[in-house]
Amino acid sequence: MSMKSVYYMCLILLLALGASAQNKKKMSPEQQGLLLLTNYLGLELEDISFRQDYHDPDGFRLSKVAALMSRPLDMIGYVDELRGVHIKGQPEILASILFDDLAVTGQSSRSRAYRPQGTEAGDAYTLYFLNQALNQFLARMAVYIDQVFPRSTEMMLAPLSKKEKRFLTTKFKDIITSDLEEEFYTVEQHDSLEKAEEKYADQFVEFAGKIDKDPIIRAGIDCLKMILLETKRLRKQLREGEDAAEDFMRVTGFLPDNTDLSAFLGRQPGWAIGGPDNDYYNGDYYFILDIGGDDIYDLEYDPNNPHGVIIIDFSGNDSYRSRSDFTLGSGCLSVGILVDFEGDDRYDAKSFSLGSGYFGFGILYDAGGDDRYDGDTHVQGAGSFGLGLLIDEGGRDIYNGALFAQGFGFIEGCGIIVDTKGSDSYYAGGKYKDILRYDDHYLSLSQGFGYGLRPIMSGGIGGIIDLEGNDSYYSDIFGQGSSYWWSLGFISDKSGNDNYHSFQYAQGAAAHMSLGILADDSGNDVYFAKGVSQGCGHDYSAGILLDRAGNDTYTAYDLSQAAGSANGVGILIDNSGDDRYFIHNQKNSQGYGNPRRDFGSIGLFIDNGGADQYLGNGRDDFFWQTKSKWGGGMDIELFPADENKK
Amino acid sequence: MKIRIFIAAISLIAVPVFTLAAAESNRTPVQLQKRIDSIFVIASSGELKYRDKVDPAIESLAKLGAKAAPPLIDKFTTKSARERLTIIKILKKIGSPALPDLIDALSRPEWLVVKRVCWTLGDISDVAAVSSLIGVVGHDNWQVREYSIRALGKIGDLQAVAAVINSFKDPVGQVRKAAVVSAGQLNSAETISYLIQILGDAYYGARLSAVEALLTKDTTLLLAQLKETLKSASGLKAKLAMKVLGQIGNDEAMDILSEQLNSGNRQKVVDAAIAIVSADPKNICGYHESIFEKVKGRLDLLKIKSVRASAGDGTHSAN
Repeated sequence: MSMKSVYYMCLILLLALGASAQNKKKMSPEQQGLLLLTNYLGLELEDISFRQDYHDPDGFRLSKVAALMSRPLDMIGYVDELRGVHIKGQPEILASILFDDLAVTGQSSRSRAYRPQGTEAGDAYTLYFLNQALNQFLARMAVYIDQVFPRSTEMMLAPLSKKEKRFLTTKFKDIITSDLEEEFYTVEQHDSLEKAEEKYADQFVEFAGKIDKDPIIRAGIDCLKMILLETKRLRKQLREGEDAAEDFMRVTGFLPDNTDLSAFLGRQPGWAIGGPDNDYYNGDYYFILDIGGDDIYDLEYDPNNPHGVIIIDFSGNDSYRSRSDFTLGSGCLSVGILVDFEGDDRYDAKSFSLGSGYFGFGILYDAGGDDRYDGDTHVQGAGSFGLGLLIDEGGRDIYNGALFAQGFGFIEGCGIIVDTKGSDSYYAGGKYKDILRYDDHYLSLSQGFGYGLRPIMSGGIGGIIDLEGNDSYYSDIFGQGSSYWWSLGFISDKSGNDNYHSFQYAQGAAAHMSLGILADDSGNDVYFAKGVSQGCGHDYSAGILLDRAGNDTYTAYDLSQAAGSANGVGILIDNSGDDRYFIHNQKNSQGYGNPRRDFGSIGLFIDNGGADQYLGNGRDDFFWQTKSKWGGGMDIELFPADENKK
Repeated sequence: MKIRIFIAAISLIAVPVFTLAAAESNRTPVQLQKRIDSIFVIASSGELKYRDKVDPAIESLAKLGAKAAPPLIDKFTTKSARERLTIIKILKKIGSPALPDLIDALSRPEWLVVKRVCWTLGDISDVAAVSSLIGVVGHDNWQVREYSIRALGKIGDLQAVAAVINSFKDPVGQVRKAAVVSAGQLNSAETISYLIQILGDAYYGARLSAVEALLTKDTTLLLAQLKETLKSASGLKAKLAMKVLGQIGNDEAMDILSEQLNSGNRQKVVDAAIAIVSADPKNICGYHESIFEKVKGRLDLLKIKSVRASAGDGTHSAN
């Protein structure tokens, strides 16, 4: 061997070692912990992976979800990235990213929104107001409401028959909604209901592939971007001078008695422009711009006459109330945008509201104030064949929903709450009983929850991103970063001392070929659940609970705290802090996997630092393998204090 | 979610499901089908408040015997996991009399039905199904392959050895896993070398199942092959081979493991140490001193000490 060869070999070796050291340096504590524990248990990180073909893949599977099913550990990076995307005052950026994530597997291109042609984008109305900027804004909104939204909806539903279109607002809606009476049905009634539900789903599958949600979602995002840009200018105008509001609202001097006001911009049917006083709006609106005052909105919507709805309120402590479903930032077969810039507001909604995209795009953007959001089903950031966003950028807020709420993603849908500030309270459940399992617990299916129709239609992406404050999360059955059937549910909470309370299928849990993650970055947090929670994956699913810092307390009864069930993967990782872990049934928790299909699941419990206390399988400074197939844990000091510095 | 539909039309008259008598034999096929359907609704009910009626309904259907098999097999197209499990439960209770219809169903075009039939045949475990099951181990659908191999293992007939061994090289991990599990169930030494080979498999289900399968085999034959394997094996294959040795834990196994302490390979030394300590937590064989001399890494030592502690107090499984 020549000297030259030796030199090159040494160089390659050095580079390889350097690269390896660099990779190690780049690895996060959770990745390092995972490597250590899997090695100890005879596993590899690549083992945490699921196939795409346990069932015949359907045409509704999101490519993002499919990719994450192949590499479930990438959920951590995905939610971290998503959390960093939101920029204050620019919710359209997050909306655009989420739109990308709504591509289905195999989709090579995405459709655009309808683009107005020639005269369609021109001046169709006579001017009524004297403010040029206002007129320009209203004209642009008119183009969206009169042209872009209806035509984009047409593009979405073009191949559908009248009967099929009707199905979307009747039977498909019934698949999502629930009835309090169901609790009292007989076994035959329940069976009949299930069969009818299956039949509806089968009917829907026949034509759902023809629906192209892209044009209407894109139209909504484009419109949102324009609203935020133009209202910035208008609001600036209003802040300048004592008579700014009066000037702003000044109208044309003379109108003949028999004038048809509907031909005037801002005075079309379903349009209203409100001044600085306290105003009252009542009915089915297309567009409202209110520049001030403590206003009351009593709103309704007819899904048989779908149309875009834009509501913009500049300031005041407002009260928004639903008189029907599909109101208040609800895009039902269209676009619904509600933007409230200031004030302590109250939103009292029915179903499909408060940032609901139902075959459409719906956003509720509240830029400030201590707000309260109440709703029933498919509310508070919920998407089905659409994108639903609730973005709240300030204040101490209260979120209250019954079912499929607070970051919920159904088929080809994505629903997200982003709350950037304040100590918030999230409550989901308490209305519809979980009759299948309990007589004293309620379905939540909320708070970062993804859901599909097993086994025929894959689900979507549901999430909560909360950046600040000591938050309180309460759900009952299914919630808090969980999912069911080819979908993803997540909570990403950046800071604060948070309290997570749920009963079952929660806190980084997933069932039936699905993905769930709860990632909490800092704060002294408290986690409580009964079971199938706190890092639990059931039936080829992955559930991850990741807490990066703080002195945390974890309590659960069974099948929790890193429990893999039925060939699923359950992972709990706590990177630092002095933590306490309590388990009632140590036989199936804290690093546990149970056998199904004649082989095991994977349960990985990792505590990377701190002086910790356990009731269960774990111990401080310890590696363990439970008597299960297959699971274990470790409590180590990943970064020990330097002995020399002592 | 449940759908609000008009339910009044549904018969709410309680079906006297639990009193099937000799009169069943007089029913026409249509009547029988209706009867089975009505009882099946209850047998497969998942609601909490009907849970006490489920088992009697299953018993009633099982008592119908072979004539209930064809309509139940037809129901295997169901999308409901609960219904599928109920059907398998009933057919298992019917047992061998259901075999002719189940074997016929192996040639059905729906892979899902064939898979579930294989599952049921495995649960019934009648040797008469073996040759028919071997006929589908090369099925296009991997789940049919998985469940036919699984069934062959459960039945345990040695006719299946060649088919099972052949499945060790299936491209799908789950099928290889099924082959491993079945190989553990078949009383054949021929499978040992294949099981050792698969300890390094890319699919965790296959390689970790192989650890358990190997422990069912003749120890003398196994030790000889493991010793040979460790001369060249590394990575997961070596780790798991040592895990098997640790679980065997006899003198010969400990000797093979102790040789690995001198391998010069850090990972192998640690794995051997863990296996030795798990087999002999009280240091009766006297290897611990040597182990603590050779293992220096902070976390490696913690692993070994942890194994010693957990094996000692019995709270955890030996690694």
